[in-house]
Amino acid sequence: MARTRQQKQSWIGWLFFSDLWRALRLTLRYMFSRVITHRYPDHEKWQPYHRHRGHHFMKTNDKGDVNCVGCELCAKICPCDCITVVPYEDEKGNRRPKVFDINLSRCLYCGLCEDACPADAIKLGQEYEVASTTTEALIVHLDDLIAAPHKAEEGAGTVIPASLDKNGRGKTITQDNVKGHDWWQLLKREK
Amino acid sequence: MENLYVILPMLLKIAVVVAVLLLLPLPLTWLERKIAGHIQQRPGPMRVGWHGLLQPIADGIKLLTKEDHIPSAADRTLFKMAPVVALVPPFVVFVAIPLGEPVTIFGTELMLSLSNMNVGLLFILAVSSIGIFGTILAGWASNSKYAVLGSLRAIAQMISYEIPMGFSVIGVVMLANSMNMMDIVAAQKNMWNVVYQPLGFFVFFVAGLAEVQRIPFDLPEAEGDLGAGYHTEYSGIRFSLFMLSEYLGVVIIGFLNVMLFFGGWHGAPPFIPDTVWLLLKVGFFIWVFMWFRFTFPRYRYDQLMAIGWKVLLPLSLVNILISGLFMF
Repeated sequence: MARTRQQKQSWIGWLFFSDLWRALRLTLRYMFSRVITHRYPDHEKWQPYHRHRGHHFMKTNDKGDVNCVGCELCAKICPCDCITVVPYEDEKGNRRPKVFDINLSRCLYCGLCEDACPADAIKLGQEYEVASTTTEALIVHLDDLIAAPHKAEEGAGTVIPASLDKNGRGKTITQDNVKGHDWWQLLKREK
Repeated sequence: MENLYVILPMLLKIAVVVAVLLLLPLPLTWLERKIAGHIQQRPGPMRVGWHGLLQPIADGIKLLTKEDHIPSAADRTLFKMAPVVALVPPFVVFVAIPLGEPVTIFGTELMLSLSNMNVGLLFILAVSSIGIFGTILAGWASNSKYAVLGSLRAIAQMISYEIPMGFSVIGVVMLANSMNMMDIVAAQKNMWNVVYQPLGFFVFFVAGLAEVQRIPFDLPEAEGDLGAGYHTEYSGIRFSLFMLSEYLGVVIIGFLNVMLFFGGWHGAPPFIPDTVWLLLKVGFFIWVFMWFRFTFPRYRYDQLMAIGWKVLLPLSLVNILISGLFMF
């Protein structure tokens, strides 16, 4: 016989397909539950959490100088050898970075550089749209790092309205101060 | 000139039926993908048109412009013939399906069916079984293991489920004392047949699912173990003809369920025309078939055979016995 009776099921239930009805009820509930798909990139965009490790950024102090002291510890600890730091001595005798390049095509976003940095300078931020058509564009320099977005603060983990910037590098455009919805709350879970 | 008044409405009706049937798979594929999506909490097609409504048209353009590939080892004549052979029976079936009571336009009575034949039900069952020839030819002509296996399964399934299907209908015929579709619907004016024949409806519904090869009985085109079954080697327009005939099969089974067991166009709320009410019921059944498809897994082959011969066939015979006893 094709259908075997389950342990908990009664013979009456087996006769009237209680198992199949249960399955149908489940899928019917799902059919009329809310859709959870992100309509990324042209309608919605997910905001990463504070802990998200994305595109690196360089912190600056109040005067606009980079925090980096050119100690090269990040370059030493980097497991994939993607950070290049060339230090120099400025007029005040401070050690500063002349060149600070990160090869994003090699980077594995482990965050060890962030841990190793003694000067609170290199961090991994919220930006995750780093696709590019050339490998050269993936080598980011000091000025790119200073301009890159910082770690997510408000609205982290929410999905906000967005539109696709067709002229730019294929990035999404989002407006500030838009309240998004918490995507995890939409997920329908069965107990 | 006298003949023209007879032929012209007939030609018009044929044109309308063919056009509607050819276009019907477009909304049905959209509906199927939407239902599949929403059961999995996805939106389904969303990009082409409003909520993806133009997606079937985009798919159609894609299918039409695809390479029409014929395997070198295939039997070319049969290979080209098979999709057409599979497509014709579903169209022919609609000759005998009425869409409502005759309406009077400009003083002449117009039947809402192409033919009001007195053995309509027999005709429908007989012609819809011919559709299997397309499957046999496709599987054989492709000269491919998967296609042959798929068509063999389809044949075995068709034979196993045709019998309970035919038997389950006998109860309905007994109640209506006729095989004419109009009479069968008219006999349900006061009470739908599903009340008198719950067992018959169950057998007919399950056998119908198997007949049109929907999940959980879609073994002939099991993607997992057969590629795509009998149409593995087909591409482009020929493949879409198979899809067309499959969707029309679903529509036919929906129509038969409604006509035989759910009172056809009877029981309409006062503001809905009979024909629209009938189509709404058919749409409900099509929705149920799609809902089933994304709920149940596929039966194993021996289970399929066991259900057909050991469960549905005895049940349909019991149904005839009970109906006979009650009528006696």
